[in-house]
Amino acid sequence: MTAADPLVDFSGVKKNYGTFEAVKTLDLTIGRGEFVAIMGPSGCGKTTTLRMLAGLENPTAGTIRIDGQVMNDVPVHERDTPLVWQSLALFPFLNVVENVEFGLKMRGVEAKERRDRAMLWLDRMGLKGFETRPVDALSGGQRQRVALARSLVTEPQMLLLDEPLSALDAHLVIRMQGVLTKLQKELGITFVYVTHSQSEAFAMADRVVIMGQGEIAQIGTPQEIFRAPNNRFVAEFVGRNNILEGTVSGGIITIDGAEYPLPGAADGPAEIVVAADRMEIHATVSDAAAIPAEFVSEEFAGTGIICYFEGPDGEELKAQVNETQLAALAPEPGQTFWLSWLPDAAHVMAG
Amino acid sequence: MGRAASCGAAFPHFGPAPVPRSNFVYRSVWQWPLLIWQGLFFIGPLLLMVAMTFWLVRNYRMEPDFVFDNWERMLTRGFFWDAYFVTLGRAALAATLASLIAFPASFALAFRASETVRRWAIFFLIVPFFTSYLVRIYAWQVLLAESGPLNGLLGYVGLGPFTMLNSGFGAMVGYMTLVLPLVVILQTFSLAAVDRNLIEAARNLGANPRATLFRVIVPAAKIGLIIGFVFAFILTFGDFVSPAYLGGSNPPTLSILIVDTTKSGQQWPRASVVALMMIVTLFIVAFAAVAAAYRRKE
Amino acid sequence: MGRSLSWVYVAALFAFVFAPILTSMVFSFNSDRFPTVPLGEFTTHWYETAFSRPEVWTAFRNSLVVAASAAALSTFIGFATAYTDFRFGFRFKSAYLALALLPPTIPLVIMGLAMLAWLSQLGLSGTIQGIIIAHTVMGAPFAMAICRLRLQQMDPSLEAAARNLGASPWRAMRTVVIPFCMPAIISAYCLTAAVSFDEFMVAWFVSGLHRTVPVIILEILQGNVDPQINAIGTVVFLTSMTLVIVSQLLILRKSAK
Repeated sequence: MTAADPLVDFSGVKKNYGTFEAVKTLDLTIGRGEFVAIMGPSGCGKTTTLRMLAGLENPTAGTIRIDGQVMNDVPVHERDTPLVWQSLALFPFLNVVENVEFGLKMRGVEAKERRDRAMLWLDRMGLKGFETRPVDALSGGQRQRVALARSLVTEPQMLLLDEPLSALDAHLVIRMQGVLTKLQKELGITFVYVTHSQSEAFAMADRVVIMGQGEIAQIGTPQEIFRAPNNRFVAEFVGRNNILEGTVSGGIITIDGAEYPLPGAADGPAEIVVAADRMEIHATVSDAAAIPAEFVSEEFAGTGIICYFEGPDGEELKAQVNETQLAALAPEPGQTFWLSWLPDAAHVMAG
Repeated sequence: MGRAASCGAAFPHFGPAPVPRSNFVYRSVWQWPLLIWQGLFFIGPLLLMVAMTFWLVRNYRMEPDFVFDNWERMLTRGFFWDAYFVTLGRAALAATLASLIAFPASFALAFRASETVRRWAIFFLIVPFFTSYLVRIYAWQVLLAESGPLNGLLGYVGLGPFTMLNSGFGAMVGYMTLVLPLVVILQTFSLAAVDRNLIEAARNLGANPRATLFRVIVPAAKIGLIIGFVFAFILTFGDFVSPAYLGGSNPPTLSILIVDTTKSGQQWPRASVVALMMIVTLFIVAFAAVAAAYRRKE
Repeated sequence: MGRSLSWVYVAALFAFVFAPILTSMVFSFNSDRFPTVPLGEFTTHWYETAFSRPEVWTAFRNSLVVAASAAALSTFIGFATAYTDFRFGFRFKSAYLALALLPPTIPLVIMGLAMLAWLSQLGLSGTIQGIIIAHTVMGAPFAMAICRLRLQQMDPSLEAAARNLGASPWRAMRTVVIPFCMPAIISAYCLTAAVSFDEFMVAWFVSGLHRTVPVIILEILQGNVDPQINAIGTVVFLTSMTLVIVSQLLILRKSAK
């Protein structure tokens, strides 16, 4: 994978802890000014990848380049890769402005200048007047912004973020997402954002890297990842997807004996994905092919209502509806419906 | 006091729920033993000691009185203040030395040792608490003697013999024997408890190893480091054995003064004056240290 | 500091801490009265001399009686105090806890003087009871700390649940709290016994003719160099360590259940 104007380049990077392979052969390029989210379940190697970029872990094999320079032997404190920690890691024995100044002090910036620059950033983050407060006297959102100011005050060319929003309340998460994307656009620097939260990654990132078991499962824009998952792992991780197995022959896929159009697909066995919001529910049999499924339950999700069904082989099927549609269907558990989709809603997975 | 009070506050308990009359007896059974015993045999003796400082000794017998003779007698004498400042200076020096000597070892145990190694090291540092301090001091007397094993070994490499006993050096060896294990334990616990994220954050923000140590690790572990210093100070300030048997009682410390005044002179009231001066000093040091440890950045 | 250099440093520090303990054990079997290098011959002479003296045996008996009694009293007071802190809230609680934890901060020489004066007033100075009283004052805070840490691990609703099922407070204490705290109680007993067994300063002030082992050692120490101290010290060390190890084993066995 390559980016237009590469800033970071992982090539053949591995990380083992004893016999455990935390990261297996990672190749990844991150462009200048890009907002990249690395997403995956816990233990997938996403945090290890970020820590290797910051120099907090040494790769077992491979090279990491920043701006073309090989970074493997550059110690942590000589890199310009500030990180925002999940725990924020604000220094409890320093007040707000001393926390923000810390990086400048370490770079030998003289007292007057570093105080001015720190105050500028506090102002920018809406923390004016808080400079002499102890950090533990601030709210979660304020602490978050102190951590950002502390990392950005040295004007780095990239910012690393390790699940920085996971400790915040839901309403603050949405607000901080706005703060982060705005900041990234304004500064034009690279953000590498590690998270297990799909909504955070999809809401903010230009490109999303999905990792599973130490490997990259897919790289793409949020749209690509959501509509066209490469493989079962991504489809399941993203959720709200129906994964169906069948056999393709001449642009037609046969699933459980029923035939569905699938233009342009190669012949042979295939797995297709249909997103829950592209699945249609019919109360009666129509002309088009459809999967008979028993209604199980409904769940209110943020953007609509997900109805869960059980297919002929006991597989779980999902379809998203709105409240009006739900009222019209009035499904009872055990009631049979027919599920279908338009040909362009089906995506054939590669793996 | 501050320490004790904050300990108590850290422990959650059932709130002051209304106690039915039938439970009053139950509660008293657990509440009162401490009050009775420590009131009778801890507060009582200390109060008597305060009272005694105003008593008089006539014909080797104490008589209750209210005179300031003992205070005047001790506090206007040069030998008391000499002993006071010797004790204060030595305790401060011993606490500083112990903190500095312990630190590199505590650092290694806290950051470079595995959990298992650290646990074993702590176990071995607790063992000395269950060996007789007197026996250990006696062993140093033998080891440090003019013709003892240490000078013998130094003789092989053409050094010495050095006079190590009955000197400030001897007393300091004894003080270290007394306090080093405790100081290492306290420092190791406080360093091991430093949030690793803070250390990584410091390095990530450009702090070299030295700056990380002094600007982040030491401030983050400050409370434990100060507590270690204070314990070392309290223990050496009141110690009798090291200054007497390794320091040669010369110059005398306050504890030697108390022992001599009590044992040979039967002058308990004057010894009590010395004791009270010690307690006041210890309280001032302890409060100052707690204040320093919990001082907030404003 | 380099990695290996820092381990050399740790080793040197441990060597300093253990040098007096190990040499006293070695010298207890060494024939020279004034040991130097190279060492003299192996001998059990110092043990024989020390333990042929009836006052040493008496002192051991006194020490054991004092340690056993003071440990029992300390443990009871310590447990009661820890339970009070755990279970009840009341006014002046921080003063109560200060009283519970203060004794170890008073220098031993001052405790000795104050105890001597007070016990003389009560006519208890120079008695075994006097030493037991003093050692209980000093041991109770340690027992309290150990029991309090154990209670910290107890779910406070356990006791409430027992009460809710109809147990009286006494019954709940006997069937829930005490069994849960048993390892800590045993450990507190052994540790306070070990503390008492090693305590010399206060005992020296108040013991009079009823000397304990550490007081005998102190008196020998005031005289000339005498390797009997090593012999007695080694026995005292083994006794204390046995108490400590037994208490630890009991805790491990209890918590393994």
